Parts: sequence; C-alpha cells; structure tokens
Amino acid sequence: MSVQQISVFLESRPGHLRRVLDAFEDSHVNVRGYSASDTGDYGIVRFVVDDPARALEVLADMGAAATAADVLCLRLNDEPGELARVMGVMADCDINVTYSYSLISTFIVLSVKDIARAEELLAAQPVELVRKADLAAPLADRRA
Amino acid sequence: MSVVTDVTVKGAALAAAAAGDFSGLPIHNPSIECASRERIRAIQLEKLIAQVAWTYERVPWYRARMEERGVSPADIRTLEDVRKLPFTDKSALRDTFPYGLFAVPLSEVAELHASSGTTGKPIVVGYNAHDMDMWADCIMRLVQMAGVVPGDRAQMAFGYGMFTGGFGLHYGLQRLGCMMIPAGSGNTERHIAMIEDYGTTVLVATPSYALHMCEVGEKMGFDWEKSTLRVGLFGGEPCPPGLKAEIEARMHIVCTDNYGLTEVMGPGVSGECLASRDTQHIAEDHFLWEVVDPDTGEPVAEGEMGELVLTPLGKQAIPVLRYRTHDLTRVVTEPCACGRTTARMQKVRARSDDMLIIRGTNVFPSQVEDVLAGIDGVTPHYRIVVDNEGGLDRMTVHAELKPEAFSDSFEDMENLRRSIEERLKGMLLVGVRVKLVEPGGIERSLGKTKHVEDLRK
Repeated sequence: MSVQQISVFLESRPGHLRRVLDAFEDSHVNVRGYSASDTGDYGIVRFVVDDPARALEVLADMGAAATAADVLCLRLNDEPGELARVMGVMADCDINVTYSYSLISTFIVLSVKDIARAEELLAAQPVELVRKADLAAPLADRRA
Repeated sequence: MSVVTDVTVKGAALAAAAAGDFSGLPIHNPSIECASRERIRAIQLEKLIAQVAWTYERVPWYRARMEERGVSPADIRTLEDVRKLPFTDKSALRDTFPYGLFAVPLSEVAELHASSGTTGKPIVVGYNAHDMDMWADCIMRLVQMAGVVPGDRAQMAFGYGMFTGGFGLHYGLQRLGCMMIPAGSGNTERHIAMIEDYGTTVLVATPSYALHMCEVGEKMGFDWEKSTLRVGLFGGEPCPPGLKAEIEARMHIVCTDNYGLTEVMGPGVSGECLASRDTQHIAEDHFLWEVVDPDTGEPVAEGEMGELVLTPLGKQAIPVLRYRTHDLTRVVTEPCACGRTTARMQKVRARSDDMLIIRGTNVFPSQVEDVLAGIDGVTPHYRIVVDNEGGLDRMTVHAELKPEAFSDSFEDMENLRRSIEERLKGMLLVGVRVKLVEPGGIERSLGKTKHVEDLRK
C-alpha cells in the first residue's frame, strides 16, 4: 500500500535542484509532490513521482547521490479539521511521524519507521491510504 | 624459485609482484641500476667533478656565487664536498629569465621547456642533444619498472606544449620502441574511443585524470577489464596510494608514478617499481641527491625526513647546482626486492612550502588526503578552503559524497560528516569543518590539482 519516495543529496546552491528537475522533465518523470530541506550546506530533496524506477535511473545517469524509500501516502478530504483528524489517528495508533509533506491536491506523505506495522494499524482507521498506481493517474480521475 | 612472467599479459605484472616475483620485469640498465653502492658513488663523484667544472666555466651566474663563497672546482674532491656549493632556488631561474643560466649557445639547444609559473614569469629550461639522451634514459628506466616493453602502444593524455611531462614521456617511450599515440589532454570520450580503436596498452596521465577517464568510461559502458590497456604511467601531481589502488582495481591496469621537476630536467628523476610502491628509485648516475633540513639547509641523518636537494649530473644546456625542490622526503639506500640497488626516495606527499599554518598548527594537505582515503562514504577528491572569520583561521574541507553512501536521513548524513570532522581533528590536531558536496562536485583537473584555496586576509 505504501508508495516510493526518491531522495536526492543536493548542495544548497542555486541551480542544483533545477538540474534535477530539468532531467526529470527530459525523461517525462512527473513530480507529484516534493519537499526540500537543508542544513545550510547541503539538503535532502524528497520527491514522489509517477515512475520512481525511471527517476532513479535518471539520477544515476547524472551521477547524483539518490535513494528510494517507502513512505505512507494518505488522501485527505479537502475540508477544515481534516489534517488534525488524520494526525490524531496517527497519534492514537502511537505511530511516530518523522516527517511529512503534502502532494498534489490533498495527498500527504508521512515517513514512519515501521511501514508494515503502520499500515496494519491504519487499515482499521478512518483514513484513506493511497497506492502507487493512484499517484500516476491524472488528478481529474481522482476527483471523479 | 622464480617463474619468468610475461609482463605483456594484462594483470601478469601485478600478480607476479603480489607473489614477490620480479624476474619477469625488465631493468633498463642493470650495470647502473643494479651496481654496488661504491660503484654508484664513484660514478657520481666523477660526474660531479666534471659538472662543477662545466658550470663554473660556462655560467657566469654560478661562477660569481662560487667565488663569493671562495669555492673553485678544484675544491670538489668527495661527494660531501657538494655542500661547499651554493644552493639554487626557483628564484635564480626566474631572475635570470630566459637564458641567464644556459651553458651552451642557443644554436646547440634542441628544445625549450617551461614550467607553468603560477606567479610572474615562467621558469624556462633548455636541453641539448646530450640532455635529451639523458632524459630519455631516465624515462626508459621508469616505464620498464611498470612492465612497459618495446612494442607497447602508449597514449598520451598529458598536454604537450611547454610542460615537460608530455614530451618527456613521449620521447623516452618512443626511444624504448613504443608506438606513441599523441592524443594530448582533454576530450575524455575520444581518449576512450582511441584506446578501443588503436589497441592502446599504456596510458600516460595525471592520476586524477585517469580516475576521471575511468568514471566516464564506466558511464559509457566501456569494459576496462576486457580492454587492451595494461599500464598507467602517472605524473604531474602526487598520487595517494588509495587513489592508485582504486584506479588499478577499476581500470584493471598496473599503475606507477614518477617524480621529477622542470628545473632539474622534468619527469624521470625517480620512478616507482612494483616491489616498493611507497618509494621511487632515483636515477643516481644522473642526479646527486641530498636531504637537508628545510630551515637550516644542513644535511639530515641518513634516512631522515627533510627537503630533497638535487644536482643533475651531466646535464649540459642548463646545469643547476643543488636545486632546492621544497619537496619533503626521506631516502633509503638498501637494495630493493626488484633487484635494483639505486637509492629510493619516499614518495613526496608534502612540500615545505605547501604547509598550511592553521591557528599555529602545521597542516599538510596530504594528511587530509590520508584521512579521507580511510573513509568509505567519500571519494578521494577533496578541496581545502581556509579563511579567517573574526581574525581566527577557519579550515573547511570539502569532501565528495559517494552516491552509495547517501541515505535519506539528515541524521546519517550528519553522522558521516561529523565522523570525518572527528577523524581529521584527530590527525591534524586542529578543528576542521567538513562540508559534504555532491558526487562529482569537486572539479577534476587535467594538470596539477589545486587542493587548497587560502582566502585569509
């Protein structure tokens, strides 16, 4: 049920993120969400894309330091209080979220230590877990 | 027991060396390279006496300095008498630019070369036909230490031009009977295509450029293991052992490096054999070596670390006496397992003038290199930036992350970064900031790699 996230090591300097995005574009890798954070010198940029395998290939060709990790992806309803509700579910299940960021529309990514356990716990909860295939689909279909 | 190895078979020279068998490796001139210490010293003395007379008679600059010291050629009766002679520093060549130290008319000079000269005018040197022979002799010795034989096909990745490295190796290899492929520097893809097309067996390059070629070749899908390339001859910059081992493993070749400097000839003063890879055999019949305390100029005890001082023996066009190299080394005279008896100098890893003083502590770039070589997560490429913030020296080491060492966690990355800082601090005894940079983020150079940027005001 989890989705793959691609992380890239980038120096915190103008143009470095753009180089990666240009390469994605050239190879028709579609970015569905991302988060960028840095230490001052270097940063880790995390991407959720429609085709993680191709994204990794593109990055390897560039000689970039990149890696893939499994993360949870949840779909939220676009209404007030929804994010609080979902984070409440996580807390009630005693799942620690190490970091989280939002994607297109009302999808959010959550990084947790034990994906399998989290999925098991969340199956019984009122949250909607998103599959990899769902992310590749155009936005319009999700709204239908 | 010794089994003669065919060193022209890819991998054979290294395998034989690993087994301690050097019998299959050629020695260019055994009557000199394997002579007794007494004979070597006798040759040196005879040539030194002639060299001092030649210099005194033909170069007014030296004559004036010898007269100032009250020394004449007749005072040179033993090898130790060399200490009576004045030192020569780079400035002597710069001050007499271009021809002030020449001992022969220009009509007899076959070729000029020059060193890059990072500041002001370059250093220019000349060679007559006799000097060209001497130079080729030195090169023929060192390339055979790596197992190069007549018939090898040698591809040049040094730039030609005024730099001594390109033509020096070119002439020596050609004299030995190798086919030269004078590709010159740059255009890495073309270099790799030429190895494939022409069946190149020997590559002449700086080690950092060889590594760059290796990386580019791997990306192009070039199969180094199946390629004809067998030997790498490195020069132009120091080659740390870790870098050499990496290139040997990835390109499936045997690599040696040699030492030399334009002021006394160019490449070929000494060369690495496969029996003693931390040291280089000095062409002692062509160069008289001394090791001195860089501060006092006094000789250090035999085998001790100090500054290498060289007097070329028999070099005619521009004879230089007691050249201060500023390179720090120690010299040993025990016979080598390769069969040679010529003195060996430890590879130069530090210069008396590239020492950095950081908050009062002496730091050599080679120490940083050694620490980084022992850390899995980073490549051997690095850069040192020194500045002073608020009057206090600050040293930052830029270390290049290996792609496979990356993890999606700031905690892991910071642990790696801090562990490098700790190791550097342990070695240098001064606090250092480490900055991780992207793979490929440290510029690869075609010539001498500039590792240090000193921005202190």
